[in-house]
Amino acid sequence: MTRKLLNTSVFRLSLVYALLFSTVAAGALGFIYWMAKGQMEQQTDARLQLETDALLNLYRSLAVEGLTGAISMRNSENGSRFLISRLIHRSQQDLTRDLQFDSFTQNPKQIVASLPLSIITGKKDHTEPARMMLTILPGGYQLLVVTDLKEQHTLQDRLFQTVLGAIGIIVALALAGGIFMGHNVQRRINAVGRTANDIMSGDLARRMPVTGRNDEFDSLSRVLNTMLARIEHLMQSMRDVTDNLAHDLRNPLNRLRNRLETSQYHPTAHTDYPQLIQDTIVEVDELIKTFNALLSIAQIESSRQRQDWADIDLTLLIEELADLYTAVAEEQNLTLTYQAEAGLHLHGNRQLIAQAITNLLDNAVKYTPPSGAIRLEATQQPKQICISVADNGPGIPETQREQVFKRFTRLDNARSTPGNGLGLSLVKAVAELHGASVQLQDNHPGLKASILISR
Amino acid sequence: MLYAMNILIVEDDRQTASFIQKGLMESGYIVDHAADGEDGLHLALQGHYDVLIVDRMLPKRDGLSLIQTLRAQGMQTPVLILSALGDVDNRVEGLRAGGDDYLVKPYAFSELLARLQALLRRTQPAQDYTILKVRDLEMDLLKRRVTRSGTVIPLQPREFNLLEYLMRHAGQVVTRTMLLEKVWDYHFDPQTNVIDVHISRLRGKIDKDFDPPLLHTIRGAGYLLHDPQTA
Repeated sequence: MTRKLLNTSVFRLSLVYALLFSTVAAGALGFIYWMAKGQMEQQTDARLQLETDALLNLYRSLAVEGLTGAISMRNSENGSRFLISRLIHRSQQDLTRDLQFDSFTQNPKQIVASLPLSIITGKKDHTEPARMMLTILPGGYQLLVVTDLKEQHTLQDRLFQTVLGAIGIIVALALAGGIFMGHNVQRRINAVGRTANDIMSGDLARRMPVTGRNDEFDSLSRVLNTMLARIEHLMQSMRDVTDNLAHDLRNPLNRLRNRLETSQYHPTAHTDYPQLIQDTIVEVDELIKTFNALLSIAQIESSRQRQDWADIDLTLLIEELADLYTAVAEEQNLTLTYQAEAGLHLHGNRQLIAQAITNLLDNAVKYTPPSGAIRLEATQQPKQICISVADNGPGIPETQREQVFKRFTRLDNARSTPGNGLGLSLVKAVAELHGASVQLQDNHPGLKASILISR
Repeated sequence: MLYAMNILIVEDDRQTASFIQKGLMESGYIVDHAADGEDGLHLALQGHYDVLIVDRMLPKRDGLSLIQTLRAQGMQTPVLILSALGDVDNRVEGLRAGGDDYLVKPYAFSELLARLQALLRRTQPAQDYTILKVRDLEMDLLKRRVTRSGTVIPLQPREFNLLEYLMRHAGQVVTRTMLLEKVWDYHFDPQTNVIDVHISRLRGKIDKDFDPPLLHTIRGAGYLLHDPQTA
């Protein structure tokens, strides 16, 4: 599990970010610490300067004697923040010579230094850090003011520890966050992987989990689900085709076989062999037609190829088809009229669009009783192009209008007419390929079938 | 036909091949057979065939590649592609590869024969006819005018195209599918016999008031426009 986690790119990424974030945070805190430390030191020096200035004022008005008195008085005061104030004569001890000083104040006669207290007091056990200010006075005198640095150091130590602790917490939190995020991502990826495995093992109805958080995992899952739905749909239509083939080709094949067998065993029953052969060929041709129609529907349904799409002059196509079918209609004592708005164009497969309209016209010619009327129209509507074939035949009852799009559906009153029940299925498949819909409406009386192609 | 036409069939299915071979020989053609793409290419490159019948899916070298190689070598022999792949894309692919016509299995033998004859006709020197003539039926392609025995016969534009195709293939059987493809450019079969209706209208115009009839229906095959005296 740990290794798996370490291998997730998200975890590695968050680790890198944790490191980066910790470094930045540590730098920031370090800077704060350094600034605070400097501020404290400045304050200490300012205090020393203040005390020294006060003593120098006394020295100016009361000279060496007055200063000595003031110093001993101040030193005896309880709670003084200054460890020692002292006036030293150079003959006793010359601190300017003994010590290395780290800085000078603006006054060239003043020296500031940090040093262990032992150097000033001479006592070995005075190891506390201290800071002193030495002012050189005329007559070989030196004024020394020393303050304790213990408090400042304690404060600095505490600050340092706090900063260190904060950095530690930041690193820990960043790490924990990385692990948490890595784990989370890993969990969701695993869920997708498991679902994919289920689907591969045959459960095509499974879908990728969508949490509803609308994050990129959800959108990925949605895309995958759309793909899966499409695959399932394709599989389903393939299955439908095989089922249909099995169901609707077996019967005619069986009839064919029976007929041939009968003629083989009862030669006397079929004296007219040429007729038998002719009938058989007709039946085989019907079978081939059904087979081709089924295959082309399946092909259209599963195809999203648009390579052979081109601009179709719909107005011209309607005129051509009307011309093709006017004669057919007249032959059956029907009137076919048409109207195609000028300049209608479509982007699509001309053969398929023509075939779909042809199927609608075939139906109209087939089901409209003699002296009926068929109307072929193509019109531009606000948002779509409408191609419609209307007749005044028996129509289709509203309850059965969905059903007729299913393959091999033949309504009761159609059973006596030739046909394979695939015409409208093909129309629907072609329409869907072109992003269009098919509508069946009552033509009062009759049927109006429309293909609505939105643009 | 002054000399017998030579046809090469490249088809791996033996039964199909021998069926076509037998049928074509009975129709008076000389027929060779190759069972795979390499043999087919080898024979075709010898160059004495008038037309090739090539199956799309062949062992060793597929049909399309065979045709492409032939065309790349400058062989212009017409090719009829036979295929079990039948949608429009496949058809376009076949024709792009250099095929001249495309027939989807299963097909009627009469359809195969009619298409072969149409291809063979094309190999004969193309003449720039401006007038097509079958007995006393005349079509002036420039004036777009049809007369029979000197009487002008008014035709709709589509009827004119239909008759033109029939006259260009006079003496040959043309099938309904061929007419739909060549005259209307529809590569599918409508359920209604639209072609029959149009033929019978055309017949009403060119044959009804004249003798002898020129436009004949060949049962189970298609139509034939010919002068009965030359047959």
